[in-house]
Amino acid sequence: MKKKIVSTLLAAAMVLSLAACGGGSSDGGSSGGGSSSSDPNTIRLVNGKIEVDAQLKKLAEMYKEETGVTVEIESMGGGVDIQGTIKGYYQAGNMPDIFVNALEPEFANWKGLLADMSDEKWASDTDGAYINEDGTVGFPYSTEGIGLAYNTEILKKAGIDPTKLTGPAAIEEAFKTLDSKKGELGIDAVVGYCAEPKDLYWSTGQHLFANYLDAGLARDDTTYIDKLNDGGKLDEKRLTDFAKFVDMLNRYSDPALLVSGTYDQQILNFASGKYAFVTQGSWVGATMTTDDKDAYEAAGSFEVGMIPYAFEDGIDTILTNSPSWWSVYSEGNVDAAKAFLQWLSEDKAQKVLVEEAGFISPFKSCTYIAPDPFAKAMVDYISNEKTSSWHWLNMKEGYAMNYTGQVFADFAAGNLDVDGFVKTMQQVSEACYAN
Amino acid sequence: MAENSKNTKLLSVVLLVAGIAGLVIALYLDFTRSSAAFRGPLLVIGAIAALMGLYFYPTVEHHRSIINFIFLFPLLFAFAVTVIIPLILGIFYSFTDWNGIRLTSFVGFGNYVSMFKDPAFIWSILLTFLFVVFNMVLINIVGFLLALLCTSKMRGVNFFRASYFLPNLIGGIVLGYIWQFVFNNVLIQVTAKWGMVNSVLANTKTAFAAIIVVYVWQYAGYIMLIYVTGLTTVPKDVLEASSIDGADALTTLFRIKIPMIAATITICTFLTLTSAFKQFDVNMALTNGSGSVADFMGSYLTNGTQMIALNIYNTAITKNAYALGQAKAVFFFIVLACVSILQVRISNKKEVEM
Repeated sequence: MKKKIVSTLLAAAMVLSLAACGGGSSDGGSSGGGSSSSDPNTIRLVNGKIEVDAQLKKLAEMYKEETGVTVEIESMGGGVDIQGTIKGYYQAGNMPDIFVNALEPEFANWKGLLADMSDEKWASDTDGAYINEDGTVGFPYSTEGIGLAYNTEILKKAGIDPTKLTGPAAIEEAFKTLDSKKGELGIDAVVGYCAEPKDLYWSTGQHLFANYLDAGLARDDTTYIDKLNDGGKLDEKRLTDFAKFVDMLNRYSDPALLVSGTYDQQILNFASGKYAFVTQGSWVGATMTTDDKDAYEAAGSFEVGMIPYAFEDGIDTILTNSPSWWSVYSEGNVDAAKAFLQWLSEDKAQKVLVEEAGFISPFKSCTYIAPDPFAKAMVDYISNEKTSSWHWLNMKEGYAMNYTGQVFADFAAGNLDVDGFVKTMQQVSEACYAN
Repeated sequence: MAENSKNTKLLSVVLLVAGIAGLVIALYLDFTRSSAAFRGPLLVIGAIAALMGLYFYPTVEHHRSIINFIFLFPLLFAFAVTVIIPLILGIFYSFTDWNGIRLTSFVGFGNYVSMFKDPAFIWSILLTFLFVVFNMVLINIVGFLLALLCTSKMRGVNFFRASYFLPNLIGGIVLGYIWQFVFNNVLIQVTAKWGMVNSVLANTKTAFAAIIVVYVWQYAGYIMLIYVTGLTTVPKDVLEASSIDGADALTTLFRIKIPMIAATITICTFLTLTSAFKQFDVNMALTNGSGSVADFMGSYLTNGTQMIALNIYNTAITKNAYALGQAKAVFFFIVLACVSILQVRISNKKEVEM
């Protein structure tokens, strides 16, 4: 009898331990996409810009004090595949209430699962919202610009007027002048251009290539992106002009950076005044004033500006856009999430976002000016309406990372010439769109 | 006594029925996405009740097999949840157009056809096979030589054993980034003197060699440990007898030691074979598949150093083609299953011979 009791107890203990796993998995396992928190006073935000994590957490605290609603900030970045992670959350029934989307195919993936925010007050205060068939599904939080950034003081010393650099010939002339005065100006190279394919494919394959797609065009002009999305076709003449410009960047870039450099190296050298130009956009301002602060101050906290990538005469726009948007998951805590986003677009939160996180506000009512070195240049282009859109966001997924980034790298390493680059780009684009 | 048995039977049937009902209701609530919070506990209680009902069922004939089932159940359940069900789901998804969120249609063998039409994938397969061959040979040779070194009568043998094994304790991702720095910032200073301006990682062939070097460096220490174990089990008396007979070091090595550790060699060969097949982390951290091939099957490839595992990951994650990635993964599974079956067959044969 005793034996039987013991065995019963053992069996029960075993079943319990098993049930514990069963219980755990049944909670989230098959419920497919439920929100993690059913508590209406908690919302979770997945942020794709890890560099502003501290500022967002500060905002979350302010919001909790004001309304009692807890906002959990979950920041990802630095090469984390955010969409892949969020899809994992979806499968696990652990969806955040607000998450970041950037590319057109990403919004298409979540079709029907994103809440429409067109009735929100902020929606009428901005041109930067992301709108598709589901309605206004993306909340813009910043504006970023792609242009050829320069160090104003070096250009001044070399006697170059950046406003005159309006075509490929003028830019080449300026590059030549700078190159001949390298020692005098104390620079290592004219331009910091890096075509490393593993970690910086986005800089070449997305941002630089964005100029082929949009530079000089009106914001709603989709000629080249439409062509690309129609089976990967590229315009040979425009691409050849673009290739010649990239070839020039290859020739005048710092050879130590060109093929196997890193982003950190590129920005640190620019912030230390070792390059006159750098092929990165307005976001490097944040890196220069935080990570590379010491070097930037040692170099005299010089002024910076941006010129358009004028690879053809007449190109006079830089590319500005909200780099990504925040979307509200329609099966999550929709009302609380919407309220939080509305609060973010208002004065108190904008002050933090602009003055501390350095964002250039996409909201018209915002009067704060970011302390970012590039803010002035950006605002000038925006107020003169000399901006083009970011249609590279509509490229096929993996286009830059798995295809064109490598072609830019081969071009930089000298394995391809201008014609070879053009031909290879065409072939690779077609291969990408064929799959 | 009969009364007692009747009561137990009643109790067991009630428990069984209640338990199964609880399970069914809980699962039903779960699949209909009900938000009822009690469905989890209900499932647990249902499972416990059903198993208890089974246990109390008054039968002499089947009692033993019922007990066996109850004790095996946790294992079977865990195996099903973590292996069998995902496998079946994976195969299922490979026939659809699933994008990681939802699926809209079935495409039959479409994914399988398109993956073999893609030169980039064929390249990944060939590259992986090449990598496997290189690694199997190099890791075993290096590991064996290190093992010989570490079983000799040298001073500080334990220190060397530990230090050769150390790279294996560091994760592949970390190793990849460390070596990326070494290749891009340190080695380039040396190669620049020989006229190679670009880093070894910028050229497909040298980048592939770099991955092999890093992987051998990481894995040879592990294989060394297995060989060390093998070498120390070679009986002392045999070695002594051979030395009395006048065998020199080389003869001892080739005529005594290597034949005596034949089984270890088989194990190490297959260990390196399967692990090289599944290589992912070093590949991702070191080159992430970058590198170009000028002309392969008539197209310009941009995934020069991308092996199968990384190709699958990139297809699913960065190209957002989850179903195609899943089809490639099923293919990869079949290849690995064949290798494993071969391994088991050969190992069994060896055991019989010995």
